[in-house]
Amino acid sequence: MSSAGDISAREQYQAVLRARRRREALVTAFIHAGLILGAVVSIYPLVRIFSVSLRPGDRIISTDLSLIPAGASFISYLQVLRDTNFLLWLWNSLVITSATSVIGVALAALGGYAFSRFRFPGHKAGLAFLLGNQMIPAAMLLLPLFLMIMKLGLVNTYMGMIVAYSVTSLPFSIWILKGYYDTIPRSLEEAALVDGTTRFGAFVRIILPLSTPALAIAFLFNFTQAWNEYLVARVVLTDARMYTWTLGLFELQGQYLTQWGMFAAASIMVTLPVLAVFLYSSKWLMSGLTLGGVKG
Amino acid sequence: MATVSLRNITKRYNDNEVLHDVSLDIGDREFMVLVGPSGCGKSTLLRMVAGLEEISEGEILIDGRIVNHLPPRDREIAMVFQDYALYPHMTVEENMSFGLRLRDMPRAVIEERVAEAAGILQIKPLLKRRPRQLSGGQRQRVAIGRAIVRKPKVFLFDEPLSNLDAKLREEMRIEIAKLHQRLHTTIIYVTHDQVEAMTLARRIAVVNSGRLQQVGPPEEVFCRPANLFVAGFIGSPTMNFFSGELLDEGDGPLFRNPAMSVRLPGLAEGEPPKAAVGVAGRPVVIGIRPDDLAAGGPEAPGPLRGTIEVVELLGHRRNLHLKVGKYDMLATVDASFEGRPGDQVSLRLDPARVHLFDEPSQARIALAG
Repeated sequence: MSSAGDISAREQYQAVLRARRRREALVTAFIHAGLILGAVVSIYPLVRIFSVSLRPGDRIISTDLSLIPAGASFISYLQVLRDTNFLLWLWNSLVITSATSVIGVALAALGGYAFSRFRFPGHKAGLAFLLGNQMIPAAMLLLPLFLMIMKLGLVNTYMGMIVAYSVTSLPFSIWILKGYYDTIPRSLEEAALVDGTTRFGAFVRIILPLSTPALAIAFLFNFTQAWNEYLVARVVLTDARMYTWTLGLFELQGQYLTQWGMFAAASIMVTLPVLAVFLYSSKWLMSGLTLGGVKG
Repeated sequence: MATVSLRNITKRYNDNEVLHDVSLDIGDREFMVLVGPSGCGKSTLLRMVAGLEEISEGEILIDGRIVNHLPPRDREIAMVFQDYALYPHMTVEENMSFGLRLRDMPRAVIEERVAEAAGILQIKPLLKRRPRQLSGGQRQRVAIGRAIVRKPKVFLFDEPLSNLDAKLREEMRIEIAKLHQRLHTTIIYVTHDQVEAMTLARRIAVVNSGRLQQVGPPEEVFCRPANLFVAGFIGSPTMNFFSGELLDEGDGPLFRNPAMSVRLPGLAEGEPPKAAVGVAGRPVVIGIRPDDLAAGGPEAPGPLRGTIEVVELLGHRRNLHLKVGKYDMLATVDASFEGRPGDQVSLRLDPARVHLFDEPSQARIALAG
């Protein structure tokens, strides 16, 4: 009697298990389908642009959808490098973006720490102000930003662009870093203070090394923002020698004729630095570094 | 090696005063335990000695020098934190040597000290590991090791064992006791666990609501608690308390309430202190430790009679939860006592072991003998 009961209980249990496995497999399949669709939607335009960049000049407007077009060549790449100031634009972008990222992250690292660790008059209001700042569209800031940069005599300078970009990315970076610092137990800094560091020493030796994932995210954010920015650059930079690649690329678009092949080739080339920075930063993005230092 | 003096320490957060005029002298090489319930201010007091909290009023002296305005690094102290606070990005060795490296000590000295501390704490095989690869007990050892290598004047322990499981806690408690015997350094140790306090301390300071309640050796705090709070906090299981009045019927003071009357030995000379009322009719509370009660059958002689409600076997002892009149009472008796819920028992006690407290002021009234 009892053994028959056992068998039926076991069968029931296995049936429940099987049903659960089927459900999990279905959910996994749905999630994967969604992710694959997302990946395709993201990557397809890039693939099309790459395809266009390989087309010979007389087939730019072709409706052919093949990935590698007939008569594919890298001639557009050569033309961009040879016939335009592309390398100069790239250099300008690189200088402005690198400086923006480094300065932006350095300022945000300190600002975020102050907001995370100290209570001072205006603490809450400051945080709210930073967040509110993010809600204002860039176009609205354009005029005041330009006026300030003009008054500071920074029009057509790297410094003007660096200041404009650093300050516009700062609120978001501060929020990211403040949030991350909040997860690092204060006792780590206190232990460092007792061990013999100053407050700043504890920040540099303990907090910063533990914050690399957040610092990497802030750096990437600053980098991609500055790298892809067009509007502010259009207003602040009028001298063609100071153009960033976004302005330079626009030059390729003529009133009657757009060099789509060169445009596409340049577009592909400007994604390479961002890709490199992303791949390099990915090793800093690993999380869980703080685990195990203190009791959870 | 150093003395630590707290003089009239007050701590305020905005308008909220959490420590009220605390004064305490800790002798050279003394093991002082600050004990009290959560939120009583004991950790705040320790953090003020460490320099991690500002002092609102009063002075802290380490080795006779006022340290109020010295940053933690200049106080020659080392601290072990409740959550260990090991640096996650450093190996055990780097964690332990961090303080020495900051002081630019020669490499050979650093290596020697780390090896010595690792030897004492039996963590040599762990030196190359990172904190996340260690168990709770190992992490606590590393945290203690990090304090030892510095050879500080004073060790501060902030509830170091409260995150460990019961067995490990017992082991580490013994380790810490051995460590003190070996290092002979002044230790200030904060805990809410009265067993830790009783077993480790040379002197205990009982803190409640930001005030020192009693300071003394463990035996004194246990046997002669200064007030109702100390009596209730120190000792496990907790002391039984009964309110009533103190009568003087010629043969010495008599405690009486509707459920019991207990003849007490005479009051010590000068008691009750600051007697606003005489002995007769004075509202008092008596305290009886569960261990000081002996149970017998219903016919046995004894001043207290009660009914057993619950019996708990602890191994060699037995807890009897009783109802004495309207009062609840706990008696811890020999395991051989055979009583069952519902049984009537009589309870004997040695009047000399009864604790007497003045009800309005909650202060101890000393008995003779």
